[in-house]
Amino acid sequence: MSTETTAKVQLLNVQIDGVWLQFPKGTRVIEACNQSGKFIPRYCYHPKLSSPGNCRMCLIEMGMPKMGPDRKPVIGADGKSEIAWIPRPQISCAQDIAEGMGIRTDSAMVKECRQGVMEFLLINHPLDCPICDQAGECQLQEFSVDYGNGGSRFLEHKVKKPKRVEVGPRVTLDAERCVLCSRCIRFMQEVAHDDVLGFVDRGSFSTIACHPDRTLDSNYSLNTVDICPVGALTSTDFRFKMRVWFLKETKSFCTSCATGCNTLISGRENIVYRQTPRENNDVNSIWMCDYGRLNFHYLQSPERLTNPTIKGASGNEITQWEIALSRAASELKRYRGGEVAIIASGSFTNEELFLTRRLSEALGTSLLDIVPHNAAGDKILLSPDRNANTAGARLMGVTGGVPGSLLGLISSGLKKRTIKALIVLGEDATKVIGEEIANAELIVAMNILPNGTTKLAHLLFPSAGFAEKRGSMVNKNGRLQRLNRAIQPPGSARDDWEIIRDLLQGVSGDNGIYMIEDVFKQIATSVPAFAGLSLSKIGDLGVQLKLDTGEGAPAPKTSSATAHTP
Amino acid sequence: MNVPAALSARIDEVITHYPVSRRSAVLPLLHLIQEHFGFISDEAITWIAAKLDIQPINVLELVTFYPMFRRQPAGRSHIRVCRTLSCAMAGSYGLMERICATAGIERHGHDHGNPIAVSRDGKYSVEFVECLASCGTAPVAMSGDDLHERVTAESIAQLLDSTGSSATLPKIHPPHSREKRIVFQNIDRDGWSSDIGKYLLYGGYEELKKAIAMKPVDIVNEVKASGLRGRGGAGFPCGVKWGFIKPGEPKPVYLICNADESEPGTFKDRYIIHQDPHQLIEGMIISCFAVQAHLAYLYIRGEFPEGANILERALAEARARGFLGKNILGSGFDLEIYVHRGGGAYICGEETGLIESLEGKRAYPRIKPPYFPAVLGLYQCPTIVNNVETLCHVKHIIRMGGAEYAKLGRPNNTGTRILCVSGDVQNPGYFEVEVGSLTMGELINDLCGGPKPGRKIKAVIPGGSSAKVLDATERFKLKQKQPDGSMAEREIGLDDIPMDFDSLAAAGSMAGSGGVIVLDDSRDMVWTLNNINEFYAHESCGQCTPCREGSLWMKKITDRLLAGGGVKGDAGTLKTVADNIAGRTICAFGEACAWPTQSFVAKFKPEFEARASKPLPPPMPPEILPEQLIEHTEIPTLRGPHSEGTGEVIAVAGSTSAPTPLPAHEH
Repeated sequence: MSTETTAKVQLLNVQIDGVWLQFPKGTRVIEACNQSGKFIPRYCYHPKLSSPGNCRMCLIEMGMPKMGPDRKPVIGADGKSEIAWIPRPQISCAQDIAEGMGIRTDSAMVKECRQGVMEFLLINHPLDCPICDQAGECQLQEFSVDYGNGGSRFLEHKVKKPKRVEVGPRVTLDAERCVLCSRCIRFMQEVAHDDVLGFVDRGSFSTIACHPDRTLDSNYSLNTVDICPVGALTSTDFRFKMRVWFLKETKSFCTSCATGCNTLISGRENIVYRQTPRENNDVNSIWMCDYGRLNFHYLQSPERLTNPTIKGASGNEITQWEIALSRAASELKRYRGGEVAIIASGSFTNEELFLTRRLSEALGTSLLDIVPHNAAGDKILLSPDRNANTAGARLMGVTGGVPGSLLGLISSGLKKRTIKALIVLGEDATKVIGEEIANAELIVAMNILPNGTTKLAHLLFPSAGFAEKRGSMVNKNGRLQRLNRAIQPPGSARDDWEIIRDLLQGVSGDNGIYMIEDVFKQIATSVPAFAGLSLSKIGDLGVQLKLDTGEGAPAPKTSSATAHTP
Repeated sequence: MNVPAALSARIDEVITHYPVSRRSAVLPLLHLIQEHFGFISDEAITWIAAKLDIQPINVLELVTFYPMFRRQPAGRSHIRVCRTLSCAMAGSYGLMERICATAGIERHGHDHGNPIAVSRDGKYSVEFVECLASCGTAPVAMSGDDLHERVTAESIAQLLDSTGSSATLPKIHPPHSREKRIVFQNIDRDGWSSDIGKYLLYGGYEELKKAIAMKPVDIVNEVKASGLRGRGGAGFPCGVKWGFIKPGEPKPVYLICNADESEPGTFKDRYIIHQDPHQLIEGMIISCFAVQAHLAYLYIRGEFPEGANILERALAEARARGFLGKNILGSGFDLEIYVHRGGGAYICGEETGLIESLEGKRAYPRIKPPYFPAVLGLYQCPTIVNNVETLCHVKHIIRMGGAEYAKLGRPNNTGTRILCVSGDVQNPGYFEVEVGSLTMGELINDLCGGPKPGRKIKAVIPGGSSAKVLDATERFKLKQKQPDGSMAEREIGLDDIPMDFDSLAAAGSMAGSGGVIVLDDSRDMVWTLNNINEFYAHESCGQCTPCREGSLWMKKITDRLLAGGGVKGDAGTLKTVADNIAGRTICAFGEACAWPTQSFVAKFKPEFEARASKPLPPPMPPEILPEQLIEHTEIPTLRGPHSEGTGEVIAVAGSTSAPTPLPAHEH
């Protein structure tokens, strides 16, 4: 909680549909109506963008305090200023509330205005609903049901415009469906800082377009699809894949970089069809980048690992979990501490990392680190740290101040054969260390897709992708957020945390962890930053952790393990 | 793209006219490029974008918005023929056909998306354009930069091969005895010319000397006392507008002269600009001094290229004499005025649309609140936008004093104004009169010679095509001050309406821009409305929903009515569509495009209903196309709760496919 005192905000009196209410000064009229339970239909207004006031759908009746001859408001019988109603309807999206303002949201005039605007929008709109992806989440459909007049009296030819235009590598444009709200143009100018979209031609022939020398290739292009109120801009990836009313939406967050933009994962019958951003004003506002958004198709790859395997004489044999786990434990126990190394993933959840740390202590080894993944970030949302939970890895004591600093030691140990057993969790060690991992006598690997390491693994455990598990992570700014399970992992694949727990149990004999909440409880008692929290307390928007400025991990309380040197 | 050194130098010089934002130079650069290369190529678009540090889409948006810019070469001689009401009434459509026949141009298939038709040999090209602001000498056409008035079949050859124009400067005529020429006092003097020498000879710039020695706030007060109302169309009190600028305003203040005269029926500013530019400049300098603007722009419509040249030359003359520039007449007041040419869009006459256009963008009017020009105008600074004629009146108010000026005309409708009459009268033209000193009848009959032989007046549009039409047989109830000072309501006819702001408003129309269009009994009101609807559909900027969709819809309905495809209810549809536009839009263009439809349909209903008599087709398949509504006399109907019909599906005569069988309908 902030310890600063908030500045005193002035409250203004506003009458909405006959009821006097109060709102902070600076509240937009359309938002005040929304807060009081009166939704105002709109197309061009978006709370995160500038307000051009061009769709005219948010027209309402407005009044200001009636002024007496003394230039002061006339006070009515109810003690509030009398309202002089403006004869012409006013838009509600571009004006803030004022003291004594009156608003009518459902008078006969307002209803007529809305019917009029709906009729105008529909006369040139193509009858594309049966083939349009926006169906089911289309504001034209919704508002025409709620506010339209139900019939068409348009007997002329509709205006024709380009359809199915590849306006960008990931966005398809149907210019006939466009209602010219200009949200996409304003988004590209104001948020994505890449002014590529504009209107060409004039009047009823106005069309949204990109100059032929450029394309809508920004890493934020798909946000225009989110904000497009109709099916003019659609995601090429999602085009024709699934009707939205069949999709189940799960609140989660993106794990493609350390920002952790909040998302909705939309799936049906264990297939993820799309991800869309979810509003969180402490993380990502209401946007996400295209790279993270589309980074989920691998979950459906036919290459997914689905069964635990043991390397036998004739290659990898599928086996049962109990056999594989107990074999792994018994093999690992044959080695002394310094002979075992663990390479874990910076995109693991806190729970998985906590158990990994405990596993390293149970095996008596301090050769434990994550694999750093870095690439170009931008000033908007994308972090150069492509690991989703580097902060969590530090807090759980799996990595130190500089992630990956122990990988060199592990590499030389494998070369000299002083490291004889290697556990690789969620990574491909051959990419960071190279072929010398083949020197190890024992490789235990856990992953979701085959890679160079899994091919060499003696024991291989199939695990869960980010949309298939629960758990928590800490983003680059110290925000603790919660993953939710949208779909089930395929085949016999299991949650990562359960696999690590079973390994830990096999190696150390420790038991007593049955649910993921139990893991979190242990984290909360051993990592100071997590004190007093639980998985459910994290909520849908996460919790800001108070982190010490020093990045070194405080040693968790449980162990006899040697502390990391940062 | 090979830009020759002279052109490059000119371009660099023009960019210096816009010290606040380079983007404002897009329109001038487009004009310069098109003048040199003949059209705007794709390469030119990217070149201009790079030159001004903006995105190529920002330039493409403008090239496709402003009709004067073409992306294909035209003929060596390019003819623009006006299609708007007064010229259409004078036969401009027939004229276009003759021009095409003479020049060997095939115009069929050319429409809004591809308006320019070029002859096979590349010598000539034609296009229809909207009102060229010379309605009194209709039909008019431009050949290149030259205006040709009263074009006839006989003068087509001259039009096509215009090497020097038949009328670069519009023709003038001497005053009628009922006129009181103040603004027009110079234009028909013997030996008059528009150079500064002549202007000074007749007392020019004396008022500037007087004003520059006054306190700015005193000038504002004189204008307030004069009661001067804007002459551009809205009639807003000029002194009140100036009063919105607070003295000591920290942000720079700008003044813009709105010389975008485009309201059909209006052609007064053309004469001021071409014949007496220094009067405008002097009035503008005085006005800038009054509101303490140090940078001002003269936004002149692109179709006045000669006018722009005249103004540039006049500004240079004024600068040379110390009336403009730094330390004007030793007063310490600095002012620079630049000419800025528009690109052929009527909506640039809307003050906030003009401001957007000056900033180098599509001329989308701004929402008010919060973008009141006096608060957030040009470059988000306080801005005053005034009409050409209004600024001229300011000079005369300084000359005679506000109180004296207010004695002219009528209370609340003070001074003089220039009325423009076109259409079905014997002597169309311009007349400067004291506001309200003439009735409509006197204007039409005494000053304009009345209707053509054998004809009677059927209707009058009193204030530019945006004004509601007045039926010649209508009776109006007007409150008028009696000689004893009391107010009494009289019922009068069209002829007796005084030509002032308040009377015309009380009669259910408006004085507007002063463009009076007279229609006689030979005119088809559906045809007239259709011509007006096409103007508005063409000129709608497209920003807000009701106007963008509704203006074209209304045009399509009247097209269909004229072609014989009108169905029952079309008149009602026209009315309700117009009702859904007026009052619901960002700017007054909504009213401008809705009022003609509302008034023509209401006052000439029988004519509309006579053309809208076919039964309404059912809202279910097979879909009936407009062409079928036009061609066929039998329209299928279905009896249902909302339609009248025979209860049978009648085959559409001449259709090529059998109608799809419909489920049996319960009677």
